[in-house]
Amino acid sequence: MTLASLRQKLLPDGPVLDIHVHPLNCFGSYGLSSPVEDAERLIAIACRSGVTRMCVFSLHETTPYEPTPDQCRFANDYVLRMRDAQPDAILPFCYVTPAFPDDAVAEIERCVGGQSMAGVKLWVARRATDPGLDPIMEAAVSLDVPVLQHAWLKSTGNLPGESTPYDVADLARRHPRARIIMAHLNGVGHRGIEAIADVPNVVVDTSGGDPESGMVEAAVNRLGAHRVVYGSDAPIRHFGVTMNKVLGAEIPDADKRVVLWDNALQILKLRE
Amino acid sequence: MIIDVNAWTGPWPALVNVPCDVASVRSSLSEYGVERIFMAPLAAAWSANPHLCNPVVYEAAEEHDDISPVPVIDPTLSTWPAELEKAAGHRAVRMIKLLPGYGGYDLAGADELFKEVGRLNLAVMVQIRVDDPRRHHPLAMVPDVPAGDVVEAAKRHPNLKLVMGGASAATLREFAAQVRDLPGLYAGTSQVDGVDSVKMLVDAGIGGKLLFGSHAPVFMPAAAMARVLNDLPDDAAVRIMKDNAAGLLRA
Repeated sequence: MTLASLRQKLLPDGPVLDIHVHPLNCFGSYGLSSPVEDAERLIAIACRSGVTRMCVFSLHETTPYEPTPDQCRFANDYVLRMRDAQPDAILPFCYVTPAFPDDAVAEIERCVGGQSMAGVKLWVARRATDPGLDPIMEAAVSLDVPVLQHAWLKSTGNLPGESTPYDVADLARRHPRARIIMAHLNGVGHRGIEAIADVPNVVVDTSGGDPESGMVEAAVNRLGAHRVVYGSDAPIRHFGVTMNKVLGAEIPDADKRVVLWDNALQILKLRE
Repeated sequence: MIIDVNAWTGPWPALVNVPCDVASVRSSLSEYGVERIFMAPLAAAWSANPHLCNPVVYEAAEEHDDISPVPVIDPTLSTWPAELEKAAGHRAVRMIKLLPGYGGYDLAGADELFKEVGRLNLAVMVQIRVDDPRRHHPLAMVPDVPAGDVVEAAKRHPNLKLVMGGASAATLREFAAQVRDLPGLYAGTSQVDGVDSVKMLVDAGIGGKLLFGSHAPVFMPAAAMARVLNDLPDDAAVRIMKDNAAGLLRA
């Protein structure tokens, strides 16, 4: 096998939409001068691994666990500038905190309703069982966009506001019309897959943790390929490392295409 | 030719439905062009006597010319000198492995072993972690080996060929200057993640000290390849995936 053929083997044979990406300025010091430069560099890095489009959400450059509404607005304005610079590649998500439900709904109306953001992002301010999420979910349903909810199962202990997959399943049952993306397949593991197995309005993204063997296969076998969607969590994780969890998985090629592209289009209600 | 310095075989409790036998691991790596496999026994991590787990990699080397056994040696066992002597006497052994996190010992207590390893002109890999502590079984949590302890060992044994295995990108960025400046200290790529992470280490001046490791079967070989090949030109990639290991391990 030549190096060239090996390189080719590690790349997808069609377009790829990454549903879980952050701006470079959220993690690491890249010496960026603007959101425009952030977008250019992020896309250049993603292209090397074959990612063609990406859902991007900022957690604010200081990544506070308890962001203020102002910090969320700042984060969203940053991503909107990235989108305006690279509209063909970047699909922005609106970051809000359930700690301030009224502000969160107003921000969703501003960003999704007013600026056509493609979804809503929730991180670790409150667990998904918290009633502060309810008006956020109702707003997302009303505007017909998905919600991406961070989740992990850490044996070292989750953060106080960090959702488990059981919390996400609870959220999905409370809001059966919502389309929910549970983040971090490799962070929630086999128990996480089981937690959402009978909750059809939840899909899991492939990000989080290391490229442990067998996880994508387990998710596809238990949930079906239509409920597994490619997400990298770049720049924390490498676009190509996470993509090769899918490309290198022992699943049919048709399922790989579903995970890398088709499902994201369906969740986001996009046309090719 | 690609050289994988950090492959394993044998059972790992967290893996479900993943074939971990020698033939399966070898097949999974050859699919991606790996032609030389340095293979250690996974079962050694949880064994009270890791030396009892080494035969599987010796037997693998008897069957397959592309496999170099990497026996795990525990310096707290009184039998370590004999186990090391056995390793040194094997035609295909170039490196041994230490699992201090699982063995529950401090590297400062391994100085006698390090001296002997150096005298026998073998390399030694110290495994920082096997998998992310956040995903460990809650009743079987094993903290990472402090990378600084490996660096200190490299300082105490300047002629020793010492490989830091399983270190994260952040850890290697933190210790890049030491990896660059300590002549015997090398690092594996098996748990380096994040965008441009290997490229950043090359840019930090340690491209000549990085060794490709897949961490198969615990991790996926394709993922290990991508972190090197997607971001680096041929010459830099070949150094990491072959040349550095060939020089260090006479492979």
